[in-house]
Amino acid sequence: MDLELDRQSRDRVTMLAALGRDTLRPLGLEADRLGRPIPADHEFFASLVELGQGRTRWRPGHGSGGRESGQEAGRTGGTLAMICAVEEMSYWDRGVAVAFPGPGMGEAAIMGMGTEDQKQRFLGPFVEPDRPRWGSFAMTEPGAGSDTSAISTSCRRDGDDWILNGAKMFIGNASRADWIMVWATVDRKQGRGGHRAFVVEKGTPGLGNFKIEKKMGLKAYESTSFTLEDCCVPAANLLGGEQYYQSREGTRGALRTFNAMRPMVAAMAVGMGRAAQDEALIFARDNGLLDRTRVRDRFERIDRRLAAARLLAWKAAWLADKQLPNITEASMAKALAPAVALEAASLGMELLGETGARGDHLVEKLFRDAKAMDIVEGTGQVQRVIIARQLVDLPRS
Amino acid sequence: MIDFSTAPELELLRDTAARFASDHLRGNAREHESARGVTDAAARAWRDTGLGLLEFPGENGGAGLGALARVLVNEELGAADPGATLALDSSATGLYVSAIHPAQRVVVVCDLESRLTVAGGRLSGSLPWVPADEPAVVAVLSREGAAVAGAPKVLEILRGSGLRAAGASAVNLDGVEVLSQWSDRAAAATALARVRLYTASLLLGVMREACEYSRAYAVDRVVFGRPVAHHQGMAFMIADMAMAVEACRLLLHEAAWKLDRGDSDAAAVCARAFVEACEQSMFVTPSALQLLGGHGFMQDHPVEKFMREARTLSLMAGGVDAARDDGGAALVEAARVEVARTGGS
Repeated sequence: MDLELDRQSRDRVTMLAALGRDTLRPLGLEADRLGRPIPADHEFFASLVELGQGRTRWRPGHGSGGRESGQEAGRTGGTLAMICAVEEMSYWDRGVAVAFPGPGMGEAAIMGMGTEDQKQRFLGPFVEPDRPRWGSFAMTEPGAGSDTSAISTSCRRDGDDWILNGAKMFIGNASRADWIMVWATVDRKQGRGGHRAFVVEKGTPGLGNFKIEKKMGLKAYESTSFTLEDCCVPAANLLGGEQYYQSREGTRGALRTFNAMRPMVAAMAVGMGRAAQDEALIFARDNGLLDRTRVRDRFERIDRRLAAARLLAWKAAWLADKQLPNITEASMAKALAPAVALEAASLGMELLGETGARGDHLVEKLFRDAKAMDIVEGTGQVQRVIIARQLVDLPRS
Repeated sequence: MIDFSTAPELELLRDTAARFASDHLRGNAREHESARGVTDAAARAWRDTGLGLLEFPGENGGAGLGALARVLVNEELGAADPGATLALDSSATGLYVSAIHPAQRVVVVCDLESRLTVAGGRLSGSLPWVPADEPAVVAVLSREGAAVAGAPKVLEILRGSGLRAAGASAVNLDGVEVLSQWSDRAAAATALARVRLYTASLLLGVMREACEYSRAYAVDRVVFGRPVAHHQGMAFMIADMAMAVEACRLLLHEAAWKLDRGDSDAAAVCARAFVEACEQSMFVTPSALQLLGGHGFMQDHPVEKFMREARTLSLMAGGVDAARDDGGAALVEAARVEVARTGGS
């Protein structure tokens, strides 16, 4: 057993802390004040690319599906390394962290399911990006959130193409993305078995009506709705090719993505909770509240629960890196961390009192930001359903 | 490098503890409870395992293992019977305080509010409950140090709320001779951390067993046309119980790992893990009973015992409020100096 971060992860966290203090947090506060996402042409994104951010983990010419291997993978690609990085970025501003350029959530699916040609075409531009580039991942629909099996965006084969029809919503970075990984169904009755993933490239006819949503918090990145109206996508953009789905691997591919993501979202929540805790501690210290037992006991609870949430996220990520089943652990981390983050922010608001009511304190922003974490990647209730399926074989209907 | 795997030798140790618990404790729990002690067969088997010498140094014939080994073993023993564990592992926590003989029945009293006094080489004061019928040695651990004394006067043999297999008595310490004494705040804090870890890892075992027993019952028992566990209100409760156990386990492993490394914040992290174990045990064990409904209230099932054991264990090691004080004080002290605005580690 060892619970100490390796040197490279520590260095990366230190680097991100400096970036966070100088840039992420000020940008996040500005976006919150202005009530709009950071524009795609903001110089911050260009500077990130120059710093080597916004790149893919995929490397052309490597074996085992193009994954990095050995030391290099440990440096940049492991789930544990990733969650340490996202926790730190979220500490400074989770909204700005999500706005970072890069292939996003679709990357893992392309690396896991994509053909060599697809990896080259869609991840290739992210190897050494010439400018800020985004990939986007579109599962959620107006009628299908956590219940991804209920998506109704349809796809039907038409010669060498597929025709997509439907609507997606709450999709991160969609309007600025080079491509959007759109999940559709050949037959709703088949549930996840009918799902197909398409890489829909920017400018594809029929892809449009982009609308950036107005949110309670996390305003620095765009959550966008869009429509697909007889959107004609080449068969070459069907992720993994037709054969992949005939072996019914498609469903598992999507779920695998989510299993890697849940610890990631948990780590983000831990970062936000820590930020709220630290800001509340500063306020309590500066206002002479630290000697109050009631105040101190609440901090003790927040600190303890954050530590537990972080360990759960680490354990789930460690299992993922070991290619061991982590369904239960990932859901536990995802169920716990957001609740603790909100509790931390809410405690901060209580301490601030009327200062919190002004609406211009970081703790108040975190209070609004943190709530979303209990919703994205499956609500806390969905996580409990998943855990219960593992523990007591809870029926699906 | 983050690694949650357990070393093979510790896995073997855990297996030994689990096997002993299954063979000699779990099935005899009610018998041990009513006998206020363990059977001779269980005591012999315990000696054969060598687990009683787990943390004793090698020169005393012990295994010289650390806190992580202790936590892994105690989870298994606590899952089967924490009261019987206290009876068998009679000197384990005494070792944290003094170089005590492995065979002695020692009661460690964490006197964090100065209820007892030491003057002129003698103790004074009384204790309303100790988990033993006739302790041979009382080790009083305070914030400043420790005093080890001989057998106290037993005022009354008690039924006890939980941990009945360990025995229970009210004792008077007036005039009991102090055999050895030391003063060292830092050493006292470490000893307290070890006692907390010992107690919390027994609690973890109780919680795990309560979870598993009630889960199995809830899958088996049908109400309103389907298993109890398939009603979503119950299913969510079972999920939350499992989550509490896993979170508690990770906090305990972290605390043990830090203690073994000698980290400067180890004592505060042990306090944190103890508080978590106490709080969650009072969610998990009553919930386990709830899942069994009326059956849970009856002694035909062990869940009522789990609830009593958990409540009693969480009163030990100086109590949860003192641990909350210690965890909170460390946090607040750090905030006074400087709120850590850098991240992850």
